[in-house]
Amino acid sequence: MTKERSVKLTVPALPEYVDLVRLTLYGVASKMKFTFEEIEDMKVAISEACNNAVLHAYGGEEGKIEIEFAVNDDELSITVRDFGRSFTIEENKASPSLHGKSIDEIQSGGLGLYLMQALMDRVEVRHEGGTSVLLTKKRMKSEETA
Amino acid sequence: MVTNKFTLRTENREGQTIVYVGGEFDLEVATQMRAAMEPLIELADRRLTINLQDLKYIDSTGIGILISVLKARHARKAPFDVEHVPSHIRKLFDMTGITPFLAKAE
Repeated sequence: MTKERSVKLTVPALPEYVDLVRLTLYGVASKMKFTFEEIEDMKVAISEACNNAVLHAYGGEEGKIEIEFAVNDDELSITVRDFGRSFTIEENKASPSLHGKSIDEIQSGGLGLYLMQALMDRVEVRHEGGTSVLLTKKRMKSEETA
Repeated sequence: MVTNKFTLRTENREGQTIVYVGGEFDLEVATQMRAAMEPLIELADRRLTINLQDLKYIDSTGIGILISVLKARHARKAPFDVEHVPSHIRKLFDMTGITPFLAKAE
């Protein structure tokens, strides 16, 4: 078991900075030898967490988002944290996905949390002086790198 | 790694408008995309096609906008479809369940 290593990034809670978070994720996850597909999955998940903070945390006021990437062996844990008023992550309560629904039943919102849960191994949302979302993914062991 | 800038281009053919959406389709470009689609949604006698061949990334904001366009076109009984979806984007469409709604249908 190696010691946990971490990379931290703080960005303004604005839409134009979310791609910077994705770029950093790409760098960290590439170093850990995650596959292209796994990185694409995590890119969407981390963006959804950031989008929520951008849209809901600060009510139009200026604010920041802190992102911490914690590397632990073959597991990456990402914490996305804001310091605004805590919000309930929007979701369609009955069934968030569109499977088996008619065109009149589907809605354009609420897919963010569903995607995070579908794309990561674990998603935890905490409210402690803001909202923090913990996203965890384990790298698939490949023969060559084992 | 280079940032994949959002690109938007419209092409008019006989009876059809094709919108090419490329790069990263996310929260940052949502307002721009909604504004671009608004007048096109109203042209009910033309087929509206969104071509995603150069799309690198989409999140739930982008998917939400596609759903809004889909619903608006359906309400106007106007033809709409999404074509050339790259495989890693297709995976997200399948996951959310939007795929069957995007295929070409009258």
